Amino acid sequence: MLREGRQVDIVGLTKMFGALKAVDDLTFSVKPGVVTGFLGPNGSGKTTTLRCLLGLLRPTAGTATIGGVPYAHLDDPIGTVGASLEASSFHPGRSARAHLEVMALGAGIDTARAPQMLAQVGLSEVADKRVGGFSLGMRQRLALASALLGDPEVLVLDEPANGLDPAGIAWLRQFLRALAGEGRTVLVSSHVLSEVQQTVDEVVVLSRGRLVRQGRLADLDSGPREVLVRTPEPEKLRDVLAGRDLTVVGADDSGRLRVTGGSTQDVGHAAFEGGVELHELVAEASRLEQAFLELTEGGGA
Amino acid sequence: MTALLRAEFKKITSTRLWWGLLLGALAFSAIQSVANAVVAGMDPGGGQGTMPGLETAEAVRSVYPLAMFSGTYIFALVLGITGMTGEYRYQTITSTFLVSPHRSRVVVAKILAHAVMGVVYAVVGLLVVLAAGGTTMAIRGYGLGLDADRLWTTMGLAVLAVAIWTVLGIGIGTLIRSQIAAIVIAILITFLIEPLLTFALAAADMDWLVKWLPANASSALMAPGDVMLDYLEWWAGGVVLLAYGLVLAGLGVVLSVRRDVS
Repeated sequence: MLREGRQVDIVGLTKMFGALKAVDDLTFSVKPGVVTGFLGPNGSGKTTTLRCLLGLLRPTAGTATIGGVPYAHLDDPIGTVGASLEASSFHPGRSARAHLEVMALGAGIDTARAPQMLAQVGLSEVADKRVGGFSLGMRQRLALASALLGDPEVLVLDEPANGLDPAGIAWLRQFLRALAGEGRTVLVSSHVLSEVQQTVDEVVVLSRGRLVRQGRLADLDSGPREVLVRTPEPEKLRDVLAGRDLTVVGADDSGRLRVTGGSTQDVGHAAFEGGVELHELVAEASRLEQAFLELTEGGGA
Repeated sequence: MTALLRAEFKKITSTRLWWGLLLGALAFSAIQSVANAVVAGMDPGGGQGTMPGLETAEAVRSVYPLAMFSGTYIFALVLGITGMTGEYRYQTITSTFLVSPHRSRVVVAKILAHAVMGVVYAVVGLLVVLAAGGTTMAIRGYGLGLDADRLWTTMGLAVLAVAIWTVLGIGIGTLIRSQIAAIVIAILITFLIEPLLTFALAAADMDWLVKWLPANASSALMAPGDVMLDYLEWWAGGVVLLAYGLVLAGLGVVLSVRRDVS
């Protein structure tokens, strides 16, 4: 069943902490049905923006709304927006189940949803254990369960991949994709592009409190890909490739030749036909990380 | 508001702190009660004369409600303080305000829930002092003295006083968000600064000011006429104590509503 979804709109948002401008005239929208990555180095203003959106911080200027309504004026706040801001925001002496029950009681939600949410994030076995003994990964899962408790249209997750192992990140990716697939609005912040690279469709990139890019993730990755080849016969390969409109443009640090003009298949086929021995043949790693660093250049981590 | 109250009760009862504080309060109340029953009618020396014996209503009230109050109020205060500061210490205030962005309602629910917990502490405390103090009185060959003059009124007022001290704790916790600092400052004020101030003001012939201090207002509420200092009328003592609680809690509401949560 596809949901209606609600758009998140940040318009002209500015937040000062004393003389420090944490967020500077920021404007962007987050659409339903896709996963949007909110990217930027640590200290670039991501958490401050999310806290303004959730009514926890008072913006110095501008507005942040969910379906046109500020968080504080939502009729059913956690039934509309599910948020997890920090994996540490739990009382260490309270059990995972009790944490969710406190929230459910306050929001008038059936407390039976608490164990259901714990099952959904794979924490059933530790439901009655105190959170103080949880690993960072378990806290992230509990934070996600808190966000899902009200079955919200909009999910706002601050660094949800932080502290997850690769298996956890893969699980999170599937989970968020499924939620967006149901028509929900999903906004996920991260300071590490590679963590969310395979999860997000859209990106909003922030640097020093300012918007530097909004658009499809794929659009960040511009320019042709190169193919990297390792061979004991570089001169022979160069000649073979030259006859097929493939060009060796140089070599990387480890001595691999950088080839433009075709895919790994093209290069491999040419080498095979030319009788050149290859030891390695790969497509160049994504340029996303490079593009991300360039965009946020000088902004920190 | 009902939903928020239920959430606040769940917060209190889902960690072990309230148990520990209750046990502490009960132990202190029992010890105080037994001690008061033992020393009743004795001559402490120093020419002050003998203390009222267990046949007097004054002594019976000190064995039951007054012992309960002096054993419990500081634990009730700490329960109130941690009820507020714990939210900031563990950053649960974030999820609290996400569930209810109407912050003033959250703080009001917190005040009500903790006042009810104060009543629970005090009532359980009364049961314990009735057992401990009553047993001691029986051992000394006296009756339980349950028909003593103003005993039941004083018990009721002592319960009210404990509840108000819990609310004072919420107020202090909102003003001083560091848990350790709030508890240390509150205990210093109660055990050191207020008695010293009482002593200094009395020495300086400023008794009119002394009676407005919170501990003295508590005493006025529960023990009119039992004491040497010039206390307020019992009802005025109650009003003054409640005013302290409400002013601090009101400040708490205003500050919570305005403050950034980061």
